[in-house]
Amino acid sequence: MNEKRAAAYRLSATVALVLAVLTIIEYVAGVYWPSPVVLMLLALFKAVAVLNYFMHVSRLWTAEEEH
Amino acid sequence: MSAATAHAVAAAHAGHHGDHHAPAVDNYKEQLRNNRLGLWLFFISETFLFGGLLAVRFFLWGDHRPELDQFIGLLVTSVLLLSSFTMNLAEKGMEHGDMKTFSRGLLATAVLGTIFLLGVLVFEWGLFPAIYQGHLTPWDNVYGAVVFAMTGMHALHVLSGIVFIFIVWRLGRQGHYTPQRHWGVEACAIYWHFVDLVWIFFYPALYLIGTPVH
Repeated sequence: MNEKRAAAYRLSATVALVLAVLTIIEYVAGVYWPSPVVLMLLALFKAVAVLNYFMHVSRLWTAEEEH
Repeated sequence: MSAATAHAVAAAHAGHHGDHHAPAVDNYKEQLRNNRLGLWLFFISETFLFGGLLAVRFFLWGDHRPELDQFIGLLVTSVLLLSSFTMNLAEKGMEHGDMKTFSRGLLATAVLGTIFLLGVLVFEWGLFPAIYQGHLTPWDNVYGAVVFAMTGMHALHVLSGIVFIFIVWRLGRQGHYTPQRHWGVEACAIYWHFVDLVWIFFYPALYLIGTPVH
């Protein structure tokens, strides 16, 4: 149980770290090379990460335990 | 009532009580599926609202934008992203019966959400000139109007998210949720992440894309 919990917290931290890195890349790109396509693509990557790992969109079509 | 009928009724009752637990679990799972579907349908309708605002920004501003402080934009965005992390920790805490992480995660999320909200009020709206002199108003030009419409609608959702968090936090402390059954916590977390998701697209649209107009 503790191992599972630690793994869940680690996954949260990893996703947050990826989002932070993408945000910094987005900021640098926006300041020095503000291409709308690149910036919106970066935003899309971040959105997919949030949808998948934080919003659990896949729970809509997978049968799983109670929550 | 004949003896046979009385026996049949008693058997039906026994059967009903004997299977009482299984249908309740199935009903809960079905209810949970419906709840999730309902919440996501709500998000679709919200997407039309925020997508419309985003379309307005690109239609009216084109490849220009008002001169907003990009570093402050990065700071408020980081605060909101961090709040998504603490919210996820709170949800995972509940899933694994870790009430301390659940409680602290929710409170941290509410605090970060409030900081984000204050950031919007002070630095984007310029409501407190003693701290920061803002140069945009909702009625002067198309830049101010769009900035206030986008950030205002988003801030309203952040505010309602903070209220939602306090309700869930209080119910959690009263023991309304268990690791097996905590739809309220899941809904609150997903709602908060949706608010973050909207900002993920608003941030580049407001602060990064386009040439600044002085």
